[in-house]
Amino acid sequence: MGDPLISIDRLARHYSVGGEVVRALDGVSFDIQAGEWVAIVGQSGSGKSTLMNLLGCLDTATSGTYRLNGADVETLSDDQLADLRNKEIGFIFQTFQLLPRASALANVELPLVYRGISRKERRATAEQALRSVGLGNRMHHRPNELSGGQRQRVAIARALVGDPSLLLADEPTGNLDSQTGEEIIRLFGDLNARGHTIILVTHEPKLAARCPRAIKLMDGRVLGDGPGAEVAALQGPRAVGT
Amino acid sequence: MTQLLDNIGMALGTLRANPLRSLLTLLGIVIGAGTVVAMMSLTEGLREKVTTDFAMLGPGTFQVQKFPAPGSFARRDWRKYEQRRPLTRDQGEGVRGLPHVKLVSIEEYPNRPEVVSTREKKTKQNVDVGGVLPDYLEANGVTIAEGRFITDGDVELGRRVVVLGPDVADLLFPGRSPLGEEVRLRGTPFEVIGVGERQGSVLGLKSKDGWAVMPWTSYEIAFGRNANNNVAIVATSPADIQKAIDEVVTTLRRLRGLSPGDENDFDYFTNESATETLDQLIAMIGAATFGVCALALLVGGIGIMNIMLVSVTERTREIGVRKALGARRRRILIQFLFEAVTLSALGGLFGVLLGAGLAVGAREVFSVPASVPAWAVLLSLFTACGAGLLFGIYPAARASRLDPVEAMRTE
Repeated sequence: MGDPLISIDRLARHYSVGGEVVRALDGVSFDIQAGEWVAIVGQSGSGKSTLMNLLGCLDTATSGTYRLNGADVETLSDDQLADLRNKEIGFIFQTFQLLPRASALANVELPLVYRGISRKERRATAEQALRSVGLGNRMHHRPNELSGGQRQRVAIARALVGDPSLLLADEPTGNLDSQTGEEIIRLFGDLNARGHTIILVTHEPKLAARCPRAIKLMDGRVLGDGPGAEVAALQGPRAVGT
Repeated sequence: MTQLLDNIGMALGTLRANPLRSLLTLLGIVIGAGTVVAMMSLTEGLREKVTTDFAMLGPGTFQVQKFPAPGSFARRDWRKYEQRRPLTRDQGEGVRGLPHVKLVSIEEYPNRPEVVSTREKKTKQNVDVGGVLPDYLEANGVTIAEGRFITDGDVELGRRVVVLGPDVADLLFPGRSPLGEEVRLRGTPFEVIGVGERQGSVLGLKSKDGWAVMPWTSYEIAFGRNANNNVAIVATSPADIQKAIDEVVTTLRRLRGLSPGDENDFDYFTNESATETLDQLIAMIGAATFGVCALALLVGGIGIMNIMLVSVTERTREIGVRKALGARRRRILIQFLFEAVTLSALGGLFGVLLGAGLAVGAREVFSVPASVPAWAVLLSLFTACGAGLLFGIYPAARASRLDPVEAMRTE
């Protein structure tokens, strides 16, 4: 096995809120290999959103190191982070985050726009990405003309279009009914089988249990890291709501 | 290139999404740019008109007289000029034959407009009457439409003949030739020998065609002698006009017995110098207009800034998504700047069309002089774009600095 795709070491992110330091993430370490499908699971307040922002290069850590595909993320400038997000990461958000006025096709093209690819080429690539998620016949619809599941598929196509090394999904089924959510999870399974590395951030142990590997967070620290089914069932020493 | 097209596409997309709002925002710029173009067109038209309408002399001609040029600010000091000695006929004859002087037209006028009458009809008291020499024709740029002008023989013999301006001829002899007919001036009968070509009016207000001239010898029979004369001098060529002026001034100073230290006790002007003060006045109007328009554009620019700030707030989420997907700060900045400039350029364009339309409309409907100068159009467009750029910077910078995580969280 070569170098891991993601390597984080004692990563911490502290916020100061009203003069008090909040340790949202307090020394987290793990590696993720290319081709893995990992769930990051934890209750609200566990630090999983903070971790997701750090992994997505949307935020920088207070201390610790993060290597993504050979790049030391902590040392990068704002513009370099933007380029890294553009090339290495495909985002899938709970609320889809599609541009409301743009067609599905234009939404999917967006990452390629910031890569400076010609209009013709990016159109062709985006069409292919939409077809690969089964939306070949919905390309010119706007988000408000699509169902929730279709919207999330558009978002997945957008995440895939730039051929990133990592798909980062934040509660991708959170806004979907259970049947549609199930379809999306199955789509993730397919994508993983095709070699895509997927990190799925969720608060649902049931969802985490279906991933080959899960990392459970609690109070900004790693509570457990191992096969999804085992880790998802872990109960923290100070679990809330007992 | 791709990026440019993308930016234009995005900017137009925003306009399409909020057409009414965009239009209202643009009004400031539209009005600003429109006023610039309309006012500049009107002043430009006025300027052109002034130069042609106030041209009372022929080419290469200047006029010497006791009083300063008509329209000159110096005329306020009336008493000073009143007290000057008259410019006599002999002095006028004295400049004839100077090296660069071709013709000398000595003209004698009464103090106010006169009435010209026939047995059946008469004009109002608004006819400019003069006692002149044959040189009058060329010096004043008059051409004869019908009949002939005054000759040396008419002057020598004191013939009671008159040449009428077309307004006078049309009024007294509607629909027929006045040649050979008799008109009366202060009771003295004159025979009409010619009619001048129509010259139009000064700024559409005062007709230039209400005149009647006769040999000065017979003029003095009807009106008595006026010791003071206007002397119009035609230089040997338009290029020699300054030399001719120098010669005439030197000669007149000598003839009028002025010492080297004395100031001239007469004035002279060319067509150019006569319209100079008017030109200055028009330039002042232009400058004032420009100030007003700068204010309008400022207001328009603030409108642009306002709407861009609204747009940034409304699209915070979109900006967050774009940044998350890899848009650099500069890219967001340029996108919003582009939008501001597109918006204001569009406003400028509407404004130019509106302004030019108003100016041309005013010309066609009210026959106000107007001509749309290309530089005013360019100036309006540039300043409109400039206002968009200037006032777009702050909102665009604000958009570019948004934190993507925060931005995507807003509803």
